[in-house]
Amino acid sequence: MTAAAIELREVRKSFGKTEIIRGVSLSIAKGERHALIGPNGAGKSTLFNLISGRFELSSGNILLNGEDITGLRPFEINRKRLSRSFQITNIFQNMTVYENIRCGELWAAGYKYSFWHRVGGLRDVAERTEEVLEKIGLAKRRHVLAGVLSYAEQRALEIGITIAGGASVILLDEPTAGMSRSETARAIELIRSVTEGKTLIMVEHDMGVVFGLADRISVLVYGEILASGTQEEVQASAAVQEAYLGSTHKEMADA
Amino acid sequence: MEFFLVQLLNGISYGLLLFMLTSGLTLVFSLMGVLNFAHASFYMIGAYFAYQISAKIGFWAGLAFAPLAVGAIGMLIERWGLRQVHKHGHVAELLFTFGLAYLIEEVVHLVWGRNAVPYRVPAELDGPLFSIVGSQYPTYRGFMMLVAVAMLVSIWLVLTRTRVGLIITAALTHSQTVEALGHNVPRVFMMVFGGGLALAGLAGVIGGNAFITDPGMAAAVGPIIFVIVVVGGMGSLAGAFYASLLIGCLVTFAIGLDWSFADLWARIGITVTSATPLAALWQIKLSQAAPVLPYLLMVLMLIFRPKGLMGTREG
Amino acid sequence: MRYEPLNVGRWVLWGATALVFIVAPFVFRGGFALTLMTQMGIMIIFALSYNMLLGQGGMLSFGHAVYSGLGAYIAVHALNLAGKGAFPLPVALLPLVGGLAGLFFGVIFGYVTTKKAGVTFAMITLGLLELVFACVLMFPGFFGGEGGITTNRTAAPAPFGVNFGAPLQVYFLVAVWCFASMAAMFALTQTPLGRMANAVRDNPERAEFVGYNTQYVRFIQLMLSAFFAGVSGALSCVNFEIVSAENVSAVRSGGVLLAAFIGGFPFFFGPIIGAIVFVFFAAALSGFTKAWLLYLGLFFVGMVLYAPGGIASLVLMQFPVLRIGRFRELAWPYTGAGAAALVAIAGLVGIVEMVYRLSDTSLSSQMTLFGIDFDAKNTLPWIGFAVTLAAGIGLLRMAWRAVSARWNAIQHDLLARQKAAA
Repeated sequence: MTAAAIELREVRKSFGKTEIIRGVSLSIAKGERHALIGPNGAGKSTLFNLISGRFELSSGNILLNGEDITGLRPFEINRKRLSRSFQITNIFQNMTVYENIRCGELWAAGYKYSFWHRVGGLRDVAERTEEVLEKIGLAKRRHVLAGVLSYAEQRALEIGITIAGGASVILLDEPTAGMSRSETARAIELIRSVTEGKTLIMVEHDMGVVFGLADRISVLVYGEILASGTQEEVQASAAVQEAYLGSTHKEMADA
Repeated sequence: MEFFLVQLLNGISYGLLLFMLTSGLTLVFSLMGVLNFAHASFYMIGAYFAYQISAKIGFWAGLAFAPLAVGAIGMLIERWGLRQVHKHGHVAELLFTFGLAYLIEEVVHLVWGRNAVPYRVPAELDGPLFSIVGSQYPTYRGFMMLVAVAMLVSIWLVLTRTRVGLIITAALTHSQTVEALGHNVPRVFMMVFGGGLALAGLAGVIGGNAFITDPGMAAAVGPIIFVIVVVGGMGSLAGAFYASLLIGCLVTFAIGLDWSFADLWARIGITVTSATPLAALWQIKLSQAAPVLPYLLMVLMLIFRPKGLMGTREG
Repeated sequence: MRYEPLNVGRWVLWGATALVFIVAPFVFRGGFALTLMTQMGIMIIFALSYNMLLGQGGMLSFGHAVYSGLGAYIAVHALNLAGKGAFPLPVALLPLVGGLAGLFFGVIFGYVTTKKAGVTFAMITLGLLELVFACVLMFPGFFGGEGGITTNRTAAPAPFGVNFGAPLQVYFLVAVWCFASMAAMFALTQTPLGRMANAVRDNPERAEFVGYNTQYVRFIQLMLSAFFAGVSGALSCVNFEIVSAENVSAVRSGGVLLAAFIGGFPFFFGPIIGAIVFVFFAAALSGFTKAWLLYLGLFFVGMVLYAPGGIASLVLMQFPVLRIGRFRELAWPYTGAGAAALVAIAGLVGIVEMVYRLSDTSLSSQMTLFGIDFDAKNTLPWIGFAVTLAAGIGLLRMAWRAVSARWNAIQHDLLARQKAAA
């Protein structure tokens, strides 16, 4: 059996005395599209930060394609082909859209810290950048400074930088946050096309996005996984209903 | 033994003086995110003001009014300068304070000339306080320690026991929330900035006559207080306290000792002559190397413990 | 398929720059002009190397003179050894020696200093500078103590009979190295490292998340910057034929910071402008008044407050206005503001010079300024200059309102045209 793309084993995280993540164990298969949902403050972004190396675990292990990545720094994890986007847009404001995408793939393309290549003449990098620009629909805006893009364009760029390096495991943190209906619909298509053949883990609040994209869903409440499975399984789970709707739901259903 | 005790007391008084400077710097940095490059320049202004006032009226008047004057100037600078630069980011703020340090030094040159001014210890505080095994400990050093401790205790009391102090402490981490609760946070900033500089000015009043009052004093002590902040851990008052005492004692002891590596080699039988490779390095006496020690400590800290004595991991 | 159109504009610009370098000494004749231009060339390299840290890497350093100064010290020893015949090193290659020395120190110091970023890094560079400065004074054997080490550039091997005795030859040495360094540093901005340095500057966190160890990026950027600083140090050694503790002083470090900032650190060519302005202040103005440092400081603080993008940003801001042909509307407002500023400056200069004159007890209080003789002890000149200053400031405020009004109107127009085009 091939190793899971991402495996969390009894992951715990405390900030001071407060335990935010309380023993999360999860396994996400290769090529799976997995959504992480839950009420605000459940710890979804914290979990992302733990997986991508931004925060240190208090205890437990995280495995990427069977390899233990616990305690590695963000750039080390990224080099193992895991890439993440941010809930609050985290782009290079003073560089153009084109340059933003290009920065996302320089390392993956193998150029590392080179100061002897002329970046404008790198054919492989240029081709890949064009591809990504097309995919995220910003090809016409390539020379605009990232800082002046509209919000939805910045979110698209955010995704673009995330996928530019050709990572096999992609973490998207609330990719459609703040978008209108039409923008969200476009975003769903974008996410679907760019994560073909890759493993996707997505934090989302918009149920339309979740049910439209995800193969499996995990529900995180107060730092614990309440339920994990297909859409039907999760919707049917009593624990999930209670967490989201409270116990009055049952009373209303009986009434 | 007597040497050790005297130097220890001297080191502690110097360390306390340094802490008076670094505490103001750390408070302003923690509250406003601004590292005031010109902090030591206000130490200098405090000394010069005290000199002028004590020449015309008396030392005690200088002690009372010079820090207030420095604090007032600080508040003006915050209101009309720093606040303007704030919107351009931290680098611009640091550069503004850097330019300020430059300007202040030039203005001091302009008004008081390039030589040291005769700012003296007042007669009533001159003379020995007590004798330890034959060496005399000067009264003024004791006075310095007294003022430093009194000032620091009162600041601690203000921060922890008064309403204003509570507001300041809260604004240190959540300035927007404090503002939303109806407090005038910009005015708080202005007061803290002025207060931090007044503290530096006070340090100048008591330090300027103990050491020297000349236009170079800011440039002499400035880098050291930055080193203390790095060694102690950015933003940590406790770290700054320990680092100040550590460096104060380190430098004071070193100045009094004539040891060198050559002595060390001699003990194991190697004689260092001018023909020995790196002879100049081995023959340097500790007393000559004393000014360099804080910076060496900083480099060692960076290599072995980059977060400082009590710093928290950034990020 | 081309990935970038052939940038004709770029070739023209570089060609024109080379031309300026070649032609300048024949346009601006005279020994003083030549000295000034040589110093400007050296400062340009230094300021550009500094901007590799600040403008491109987001690293504010207060101690860049460490690399230029140590490069200069190594160069002066190499030059003296070459002069004695120890090895055949032509003066023309000395900047390479300085550069390699700078690189060496960049590696060992850079490793320690880049462990931290931002404001902490700035303070560490200051501490390192003080450390090196103190060490220079502690080891007079190698560093020559306060007096420094002198050299003779004509004693070194002189291929093709060029012994660099004549100032014109020194100028061309500086000009060639300056042009080469400018080109090299510009080329570096177009490399993966250069781009990632920008990324680290803009958003170090995101740079980590695209696979880069930001500390390494900053470290390598610093090493390369130190190389060019060393080049400028060696050229300084050749030009002044002396290297002393002043070369590793806080004054030097502060100077290059000022130069880069005043010119405009967000832009590649900004420090070039800044270097020229700085040398002008330092070399030319210092001959006229003792207060030149004060004026420079005021100019610097003024720029930080009102034009943090430097002179380059001020110039570039005019281009969109020029393009839509509305610049002539600003001509009168700008002239008015400029005249008002001159009045204010005259008042300020008067007061400053009088204070300086009075505080220097060795000189009489009789002085001449702007062609007028007066006694600084009288109250009349004080009143006169104070009124001039106040009037100047008042006029400047009025003139600036006019400029702002016109500028805003033009900006609205620009915005409207942009929207229409989009």
